[in-house]
Amino acid sequence: MSAALELTRRHQLKWWEALPWIVALAAFLAFPTYLAFGTQLLITILFALSLDLVLGYAGIVTLGHAAFFGAGAYTAGMMAMHWGWNEPISGLFAAALVAGAIGLASGLVLLRTHGLTLLMLTLCTMALLEQAANMGAAWTGGFDGMPGLSFGKILGLFGFDVLYFRSQYLYVLAVLFLCFVIVRTLVYSSFGQSLTGIRENVLRMHAVGAPVRARQVLVYTVSAALAGVAGALFTQATGYANLAVLGLERSAGVLIVLILGGYGRLYGAFVGAVAYMLIEDVLAKAYPTAWQLGLGLTLIAVALFARNGVIGLFDALRRRLAGAAR
Amino acid sequence: MSAAILETRNLCMSFGALEVARGVNFRLERGARHALIGPNGAGKTTFVNLLTGLLRPSRGSVLLEGEDVTALAQAKRVKRGISRTFQINQLFRGLTVQENVGIAVSERLGVGGSMLRPAGKRADVIAEASRLIEMLKLGEDAGRRVAELPYGRQRLVEIAIALGLNPRVLLLDEPAAGIPSAESHILLDAIATLPAEIAVLIIEHDMDLVFRFAERITVLVSGAILAEGAPAEIAVNREVRSVYLGSALDA
Repeated sequence: MSAALELTRRHQLKWWEALPWIVALAAFLAFPTYLAFGTQLLITILFALSLDLVLGYAGIVTLGHAAFFGAGAYTAGMMAMHWGWNEPISGLFAAALVAGAIGLASGLVLLRTHGLTLLMLTLCTMALLEQAANMGAAWTGGFDGMPGLSFGKILGLFGFDVLYFRSQYLYVLAVLFLCFVIVRTLVYSSFGQSLTGIRENVLRMHAVGAPVRARQVLVYTVSAALAGVAGALFTQATGYANLAVLGLERSAGVLIVLILGGYGRLYGAFVGAVAYMLIEDVLAKAYPTAWQLGLGLTLIAVALFARNGVIGLFDALRRRLAGAAR
Repeated sequence: MSAAILETRNLCMSFGALEVARGVNFRLERGARHALIGPNGAGKTTFVNLLTGLLRPSRGSVLLEGEDVTALAQAKRVKRGISRTFQINQLFRGLTVQENVGIAVSERLGVGGSMLRPAGKRADVIAEASRLIEMLKLGEDAGRRVAELPYGRQRLVEIAIALGLNPRVLLLDEPAAGIPSAESHILLDAIATLPAEIAVLIIEHDMDLVFRFAERITVLVSGAILAEGAPAEIAVNREVRSVYLGSALDA
């Protein structure tokens, strides 16, 4: 197949792209007792998807992505706690707005740097927010966070709190789907292609006259807003927000999800989140005190044998099968 | 005298105490086939970087069609028609040849920031990229990732990207560097068939290539122009021979 033809077909939907959604809906019917777990899984997927946009596509290495997840979580939480604003969907928009604004402001400064400096500055941004949440106790609940939040009905119809697992799961799934459509549209657009250009070679990107910094800041902002939505969903689903939503552990966790699944491949976030949470769930039950050892060993195996994550393994297998068939 | 397509006036640049450009007055005429030669460390690549805006001069000016562009950033100069290749390949190694050229064409057509329409639906971008890829005889590699190509083919992708920007001035920084001599004719063919209206400045160590290609040669030594003229004049220039060409032409 010619390269031009391949390019004109790349963005078209493939049959297997329906799989994650079929699986998600099937799980809804098959495992009614696991829906709280499922909801967390979907939120992790959205969070990882937002990270894939900056890390996998634009090549911006960050360890502070939980800053935006946390900003969204706290926005939804504080609106509910202080203003009694507990309508879920507008809460998501507010969270996206706040997280996006923080992404824009920090991105304008951070993205002047790269490499280790950038990595450290993303950590600093997150640490600043974490401390702000810790010290602004009157607003944020400080160390204890904001427990016992309740949220209104979705679209005024479907009951929504920690006891309504079914509507919660479907609500989060719908939001994930919409956000996924946004991300998918972006990565297959000319803008998305230019992001991969920035990832592959910044010097050349400047030399073809691309406004590199502006593109980076833009994608960083979009990614932050999506992470903020994930954070707000977390608060709405669990009914609380505390410092754990914006710590290093969450940042590192989502990074591991993406590495496990495969970054820069859109569906890596899905596969990675499932793999990560299954590993965590299984190992935590088997070895409650040392489950992270198992996670570490898995990561080492991925780093050694599957650089492109689980999806990368699928790709390699498919290529090998195609080669054998020829 | 009409305005040259690209001109420098008293261009100076120093890295600390090291002067790498010392009052360079240079003219590149429309549609020229011009070569810039000089020993290692003469400041040739720095000169190209000053022309493209990757570096800013400490003094002097760069003029594009008589208009001062010294203060313009690289991206703005690209939009006005100055395009380049790099001495060491600067490609999108993980992307296909088609994508590499497509990115350049997208930027030139101003659609590189478009967020909604799939890149695969940009028929104009794809057609233009394909045309350039065919022109440089890269057709059969169009779908391959650049990293998988032999170095010589990658050099051609560099040129395809530069042409994708539809330049009026094309700066080729050692296009033959790293290509086995057996393959250099492919590159020479590619350069020989560049559209005549593009002014080409080539920096090259391969004297064979320089003398076959160039209609005019400038010799740069220690950041200053030592000599300039037609190839025949340069070949017999005593100073040039002693400083640079040495025994290469005696043979």
